[in-house]
Amino acid sequence: MIVAEHLVKWYGPVLAVDDLCFEIPAGEVVGFLGPNGAGKSTSIRMLTGYLPPSAGRCTIDGHDILNESRAARQKIGYLPESTPLYTEMRVTEYLHFCGRLFGMKRGDRVARIDEVTDKCGLAHNKRRTIGQLSKGNRQRVGIAQALLHDPPVLILDEPTSGLDPQQTLAFRDLIAELRGQHTIMLSSHILPEIERTADRVIIIANGRIAAQGTPGELRDRASRGGAVVVEAKATPQQLTELLQAIPSVARVEPDRTKGSAGSWCRATVHAKDDSDLRGAIAEALAAKGYTVRELHLNAPTLERYFVEAVAKRKAVNTTP
Amino acid sequence: MTLTIAKRELASLFFSPIAYVVLGAFAIGSSTFFLQSFEPGRPASMRSTFDAVVWLLVFLAPAISMRLISEELRSGTFERLMTSPVNDAQVVLGKWLGALVFFCVLLSPLAVHAFVLERVGSPELGPILTGLLGLVLVGALYLAIGVFASAWSQNQIIAFLLTVFIIAVPTFAAYYVAGERMPDPAVRRLVEYISVNQQYADFAKGLIDIRNFVYFLSGTALFLFLATTLVASRRWR
Repeated sequence: MIVAEHLVKWYGPVLAVDDLCFEIPAGEVVGFLGPNGAGKSTSIRMLTGYLPPSAGRCTIDGHDILNESRAARQKIGYLPESTPLYTEMRVTEYLHFCGRLFGMKRGDRVARIDEVTDKCGLAHNKRRTIGQLSKGNRQRVGIAQALLHDPPVLILDEPTSGLDPQQTLAFRDLIAELRGQHTIMLSSHILPEIERTADRVIIIANGRIAAQGTPGELRDRASRGGAVVVEAKATPQQLTELLQAIPSVARVEPDRTKGSAGSWCRATVHAKDDSDLRGAIAEALAAKGYTVRELHLNAPTLERYFVEAVAKRKAVNTTP
Repeated sequence: MTLTIAKRELASLFFSPIAYVVLGAFAIGSSTFFLQSFEPGRPASMRSTFDAVVWLLVFLAPAISMRLISEELRSGTFERLMTSPVNDAQVVLGKWLGALVFFCVLLSPLAVHAFVLERVGSPELGPILTGLLGLVLVGALYLAIGVFASAWSQNQIIAFLLTVFIIAVPTFAAYYVAGERMPDPAVRRLVEYISVNQQYADFAKGLIDIRNFVYFLSGTALFLFLATTLVASRRWR
């Protein structure tokens, strides 16, 4: 549904997006993740036809965004970053205006406006002036506007920025409701958002794809080499010796600060390879008869993986 | 599509404080000029009012047009507008048309003056109508220049100054610099030709000359074309 082929964008001498390639099949919800300045908004602006790519091309449902621009744009519902709206207009007025831009007939507009304002939780604010609305409600107007002409493709640039936790939750429900009816691409620099709503995550850093996959896959990849935390009734020395004896253990870091608080000792264990050490540690401790009160894999969040992916990219870029 | 954009533009003009400043300034300015020539014994004509009012437009028309595209560039709404299925010319035309309708509202005090004159004297209606028509053509040209200037910058002040500057070149600068001192009659004619006020003078007198129409309409078309090109240049700059 959305295809980006070797997208490149130069702003003067600055390379903002570097050879970006991806394909989003119909019905998929894709999270577009990256720190500020990674090239998310620039990529999105190229996909929606606001900015032309310096090289490469993108198509929306088979229509080239530059050569068949109007046909392609007709298929996109777009929420630009920071939700620009005409603040002097009333909500319904604004939605009528947007509907007209997309060539909707009056009857269709009236029916659809009722539908999308209900869906986005704006039913009580329909008659209000946009300038008087709270940030969260403005964001809802932005989303309502993107949904209005029932486009096959939804592109939302940072749709949850500025929402409070409850509104964020409501937004997540809305995306869940829209899943399957639209191909959705949403960008964010907030991970939990993407982690929970997206089928697939594309992480970009410095204008290139740093990693991509389902949130589960990324977490699996990230968890390899994760550290195990263990707490047992032993002295730090006993514990270190015992754990170091396990073949695949690389390093043991006893936590000395807690050692004095009784006979419990806590340690962090790192593996030599990507293996999960929990089983081996439990067996080793049980064999010597130590009492264990905690044993867990320090499961890395997608956030950590994301930070690592970005750091790696930076390292690659800075090495000559 | 053009009309949709024009309608929204017109409505939003009435929501901006600057619109009321401009409306007020024009009402006061034009009435002052009118009253100066409104004395017993003077001819019942609006020619001197028209000649003075056309100077006022040098500053008031840019004040209307300065926000047209600048404001949308600043607030980011331009991105939403340009990613909907409209083309660049529709956006430029729509904005210009919306501003032109507002401009016609701006001229309404002149109708009141004409009515007053009609009550106390017996003015010739022809020159009043051509004078108003001429003002609309001047407005169309100035607003086209204004749309063009407003697409340059997201700063309204810059858009305003740039519009005044572009208007000033043919209107006074050329006239004062080269006008009467120029010995070469060909240059003098050219300078007079490009002067908006000289072109307008015939309308104020009550003349309708096809050459004046050609001047205003081609000037308007030129700047609307330049504005469209400027908006489109975003795609290849």
